[in-house]
Amino acid sequence: MLDFLLRRLSAALVTLVLASVVVFAVLEILPGDPALVMLGTEARPDTLAALRAKLGFDRPAPERYVSWIAGLLTFDLGNSHAYGTPVSKLILDRLVVTLPLAAMALSFSMCVAIPLGVFAASRRGRAADWLVMGFGQLGISIPNFWFGILLALVFAVALKLFPAGGFPGWGTDFAASLHALILPALSLSLPEIAILSRVTRSSMLDTLREDYVRTARAKGVAERDVLMRHALRNALIPIVTIAGLLAGFLVAGAIIVETVFYLPGVGKLVFDSINNRDLIVIKNVVLLLTILVLLVNLIVDMIYVMLDPRPKVQA
Amino acid sequence: MSEFTRRRLGGLVGGAGALALMGAAPRAHAQAPARAKDGVVVIGMSLEPPVLDPNLNAASAVREITYQNIYESLTRIDRNGKIIPGLAESWTISEDGQQFVFKLRAGVKYHDGEPCEAADVKFTLDRLSAPDATAPGKSLYTSIKSVDVVDATTVRVNLKSPDAFFLFNVGIGDAAIMGRKSAASNGTKPIGTGPFMFKERKEGDSVLLVKWPGYRDPGSIKLNTLLFKFIKDPAAQLNALKAGDVDTFPGFQSPEQVNQIKADPRFAVVVGSTQGETILATNNAKKPMSDLKVRQAIAHAINREDLIAGENGFALPIGSHFPPHDPAYVDLTKTYPFDIAKAKKLLAEAGHPNGFEASLKLPPVGYAQRSGEIIVSQLGKLGIKLSITQLQWPQWLQEVFKDKNYDFTIVAHTEANDLDRYARDGYYWGYDSKAFKENWAAVVKEVDPAKRMELLKKAQKIIADDAVNGFLYQLGKVGVWNKNLIGMWENSPTPSIDMSGVYWKV
Repeated sequence: MLDFLLRRLSAALVTLVLASVVVFAVLEILPGDPALVMLGTEARPDTLAALRAKLGFDRPAPERYVSWIAGLLTFDLGNSHAYGTPVSKLILDRLVVTLPLAAMALSFSMCVAIPLGVFAASRRGRAADWLVMGFGQLGISIPNFWFGILLALVFAVALKLFPAGGFPGWGTDFAASLHALILPALSLSLPEIAILSRVTRSSMLDTLREDYVRTARAKGVAERDVLMRHALRNALIPIVTIAGLLAGFLVAGAIIVETVFYLPGVGKLVFDSINNRDLIVIKNVVLLLTILVLLVNLIVDMIYVMLDPRPKVQA
Repeated sequence: MSEFTRRRLGGLVGGAGALALMGAAPRAHAQAPARAKDGVVVIGMSLEPPVLDPNLNAASAVREITYQNIYESLTRIDRNGKIIPGLAESWTISEDGQQFVFKLRAGVKYHDGEPCEAADVKFTLDRLSAPDATAPGKSLYTSIKSVDVVDATTVRVNLKSPDAFFLFNVGIGDAAIMGRKSAASNGTKPIGTGPFMFKERKEGDSVLLVKWPGYRDPGSIKLNTLLFKFIKDPAAQLNALKAGDVDTFPGFQSPEQVNQIKADPRFAVVVGSTQGETILATNNAKKPMSDLKVRQAIAHAINREDLIAGENGFALPIGSHFPPHDPAYVDLTKTYPFDIAKAKKLLAEAGHPNGFEASLKLPPVGYAQRSGEIIVSQLGKLGIKLSITQLQWPQWLQEVFKDKNYDFTIVAHTEANDLDRYARDGYYWGYDSKAFKENWAAVVKEVDPAKRMELLKKAQKIIADDAVNGFLYQLGKVGVWNKNLIGMWENSPTPSIDMSGVYWKV
C-alpha cells in the first residue's frame, strides 16, 4: 500500500510541475495587459510603463516563473493586483465556500443517485425503471445555470424559503450560511445525479448477471443482501471512478452556479480574476484546483484498493 | 426485493427532503421593512470594484462606492452635475484663470482622527499629477503646474494654462482628497472624510460601510449601514430584487427585464441621464473608413430609432459626441438623416458600389451586444458585411483601444467633458482635424461661460459633419429602488452612488 501510494504521489508531483508550466505559459500569451485594465482608457503610456515596472511585468518570463514557484514553496503567493489583498487570503476565503458547496453537492448526488440506480436496476424494464432513466436524461440535458435560476425563482422569489443568493459567512451566521448553500448545491448536483444514477444502474445490471450473484441467490441469500452485499459492492468501482471524474466537473459547474447565486467562491474568483487579468490570482487558483483534482484522484485510487484489494497492491 | 428497495429509497429521499426543510425553517432572511427600521440599505451593483482607491484605479465601480460616501473632493458634483463646494467651502480664481485659491472647511477630520489639511490636498494633487504619478486620470490634471500650502486651510493651485474644466475635475472621484498618512493603504482600507466609513470587504461578494459618528454634520446623515453587493448575472439581479435581498440597483444593466420590475409595486424604476455617448467607433485611419464619403454613407444608413428600441427605449438619440442634458447641447441628429438611397449613392461615389467587408469588435456589455446585431443588419443593406468578434474587456482595451487593430466597435464613452478625445493625437479613432484641434484649444482656454458655450457647439458640429463615428444614442441610467427609499440620484453626472442624502420613508 505504501509503495503504491508513493508511486501515485510522485506521478501527481510530475503532473503538478507540468501544470504549473502550462498555466504560466497560457497566461503569458493571454491577450490583455493587466496594467491597462487597472488604469483604463485615460492612462498615458508613461503611466502604464511605470505601473508595469512596479508590478514586475517587465522582467523576463523565466525569472518570473522561478520567483512564482519560489513564492509557492514558501507559501508567499503575493498580493492580488485587483484587490490589493494577499492572494492566499483571497483563496482561503473562497475555499470555505466552494469546498462545502462541492461536498454538499457530491453527497446530495450520491445519496440520491445510488439508491435510484439500484432501484432502477432491480426493476429493470418496468415503469419505475423507465421513469428513473427518463429523469436521468432530463437531468443531463438541463443546464445547471437554468435549473439554478428556476430553483431561485420558486424557492426564493415565490416561496421565500431561501435567499436568492449570497453568502453571510460561517463566522457571521453558521445556520444561514448552510442554508444559503442548499439551493446552489441542489442545482450543482442535478447533472451529477443524472449521470451517477445511470452509471449505477448499468453497473448493477452487469454485476447482477454474474455467476456469484446467481450462486448467492441459489444458496437462498436474502434478496437485500444479494443486492447490497454482493452486487452493489462490486458495482461500486465504476461508480467511484465516475464520481471522481465528476469532482473535476464540480469545479467547472461551480463557476456557473456561483455566478447565478452570487456566492463568493473559488469558481467566481477564477471567473472574476480572468476578467480583471489578475494574473497572479489566476495562476495560483488554477494550480490549486489542479492540486484538488489530483487529490481527489488519489483518494479514488485508494478507495479502489479498499473495494477490490486484488490487483493494484501487488502490481 | 422491490419492497425493500422502495422502503430504503423512500427513507433516503425523505431524509434529503427533511434536510432541505430543516435548512429552510430556522430563518426567514431580513426583508426591506426590517432594514428600513435599522437604517440599512443593500445596494446591488453589476461590477465589483478592484482596490478602493479612485486616485489609482480607473474602474467606475470604485467611484460609485467611495465618492461622497467615503471620500470627498475639493469641489463636489451634485446630482444634476452642478459644481458645489466640497471640502473647499469657497475658492477664488485669478484674472488670467491660472491661479485657484481654495479655502478649506475648518475642523474636518479623517475617519482615523487625523485632520484634513491643505497639506493633504497638496499630497493628493501631487499624487495625481507628478511626473512619476501612476494615476489613471493623470491627463485630467496635466494643467497643474504647482500646488502651494498657504496655511492649514488655504491651498493655492497654479496652472500652466487656463483650464475651463479644472473645477469640475477636482470635484470628481478621481481627485478624492486622501490623508497623507492613510493614502498608501486606502486600496484595501479606505479612510476618507465622508459620512460613511469602511467596515469590511468580502472580495467577490460585498463592501460594508457604516455611518461615521465624527462626520462634521452627523445629523444630516439618515442611514446607518450601507451594504454594496456585487451581482453580475442579470437573472440573479432580478431574483435578488424580487426576493427582497437587495433594495436597489442604482444602475440596472438589463433593460429587457425592466418591465418585470415595473410590474412589482414595491419598486420604482427611474430613467435618468448619463454621460455615456454610445458610438459606432470607427477607425478613421484605415481604408475605406478614412474616406469621408464612406463615413457619411454609414451615417445615413444608421437608424437610431431601431437601436433605441433595442434598448427598450431607455436612450436618447445623439448626432454628435455630446450629452443632450448639457446646456451647450445642439441637436445634430439631422446632419445625416436616415436615407438608404443617399447612403448607397455616397458609397458608390466613394468607389464601393457593392460595399466592403469589415470587422466589428464588441466589448462584453449588453448595449454593445444588442446594438451590434442591429448595426450589422443596418449596414448590411449597403452591402457592408460586418463580422462580429466578441472580446473580453482586457482584450478590447488591448486590441481595439491600444493597438487600434479594428474597423468598428460599439462603446459608450462615459466620462464627462470627453469631447477633447477628438483633439488627441494617437487616439483609437485615428481622427485628425486641424479645425477641431484649434477650436478645442480655444474651448479649454475660454473662461467666459457664454463664449465657451458657443465654442462647444461648434466643436460638436465639426465632428458631426466629419461623421467621425456613428453617433448612436445617449445611454439612459435605469435606476431601480424600493419606493420607500428616498433621495437616490436619478442622473449620473459622474460615477457615484451618493448615499449622503438618502433615507427610508417610514
